[in-house]
Amino acid sequence: MAVPLSQMYTVTKYVLTQKVKRVKRYPLVLMLEPLFRCNLACAGCGKIQYPDHVLDKHLTPEQCWAAAEECGAPIVSIPGGEPLIHPQMARIVEGLVAQERYVYLCTNAILMERKLDEYKPSKFLTFSVHMDGLKDEHDLAVCRDGVYDVAVRAIKEALKRGHRVTTNTTLFDDANPERVRNFFDEMMALGVEGMMISPGYSYQKAPDQQHFLKRERTRELFSRILGSPKQGWQFNQSPLFLDFLMGKREYQCTPWGNPTYNVFGWQKPCYLLQEGYTKTFRELMADTAWDQYGTGRNEKCADCMVHCGYEASAVEDTFGTVSGFSRTVKLTLLPTSR
Amino acid sequence: MTDTKNHSAQGTFSSLQGRQFAPHSFAELAEAVELAFDYRGDVTVTLRSGQQVTGYLFNRTVKGQDSTFEVFPEGDSGVQLIRYADVVSVAFSGEDTASGNSWENWVAKKESERKAEADRIARDARARGHL
Repeated sequence: MAVPLSQMYTVTKYVLTQKVKRVKRYPLVLMLEPLFRCNLACAGCGKIQYPDHVLDKHLTPEQCWAAAEECGAPIVSIPGGEPLIHPQMARIVEGLVAQERYVYLCTNAILMERKLDEYKPSKFLTFSVHMDGLKDEHDLAVCRDGVYDVAVRAIKEALKRGHRVTTNTTLFDDANPERVRNFFDEMMALGVEGMMISPGYSYQKAPDQQHFLKRERTRELFSRILGSPKQGWQFNQSPLFLDFLMGKREYQCTPWGNPTYNVFGWQKPCYLLQEGYTKTFRELMADTAWDQYGTGRNEKCADCMVHCGYEASAVEDTFGTVSGFSRTVKLTLLPTSR
Repeated sequence: MTDTKNHSAQGTFSSLQGRQFAPHSFAELAEAVELAFDYRGDVTVTLRSGQQVTGYLFNRTVKGQDSTFEVFPEGDSGVQLIRYADVVSVAFSGEDTASGNSWENWVAKKESERKAEADRIARDARARGHL
């Protein structure tokens, strides 16, 4: 089982509590971006194109902890930028773990081996290592040779020290399904707890505009990748989200499921679109015109099938419908039955 | 809206870098601020007082005459709140960090050029202690 039982229990309890309280919109994963600076310049990334003085800005640990408290989501994902560049990242993580939030520290792993001493293994902390494929594909995606090997070394060392480690993979339309399947084998052979996958989103600011996936091609690609799954594959995400990627389930976006907080404030409406910022989470939830976003509602959302919008929809399906719940149970216990 | 520089010579949309807008109406000003909000570089805002503010415009709140926008001024850790009503012009003065570097350009480059660019980015990261 890719996600530990304690984490499953925490998320289940949280979602059911929201349902009992009849909360219509609730956050599931806080996307915390403490800085935009990165030590890579990947062709598919639209997160790092800012002037130097903006890239030099960091959220303080206190700001990060307050955002997590205010939001209340049981899971905190820390992307960026490259979080390990932040001089106080270990302290930020320590504070979030003290709040008993499940933290996914998303890193390209270039600095990971060097910084591991600063982090204490915990069931609440997972290093989520950015891996976009086998060596050739990954090094091409991140526009630097040798990064794959560095990341593999860091993963091995982190596992040796008892850390939870997952991988996160963004797939573009030039992905070769057979190579991706081989990549899954290789990651599982390293001993990672599970893998997370998502199609890319067509960032207006990303240099690579031709390679982002269109909806139909996304379904076709993921069907070829995830069809006949191998016994050892584990995914650290909702099995219904994977069904959605394969075209087996239809969802509308849940943009409030993964609210984003960064140096500009609370980002409207989601992790991928930047339509404005609010000072507080309460304002974000109250002031955002949620009905204007999602497939069929907004041209910017037309082709999006990214995890930050649809994984929360899949979780809602699990706890909101009998078919969703039974399918989740089945795929969790028998992942190869897909 | 007054655009003090010519549009792209190719007749296609290109970066706003180097252009300046001196709006004549609230609608024109609102449009200029929207463009600045979407721009991934610094802008220079000239106020009616004669003061100039250069920085990154990261947010705006449109509420008629009470409309405001927020800027991270370059070389200042704070946030400056500016009223639309106080603005004379908006210039796209800083480098457009999102411009260029397309995937096609990256692929079309010779191997030696790609390597040189990757090395430059790595050098920059190393100089900052990020590698």
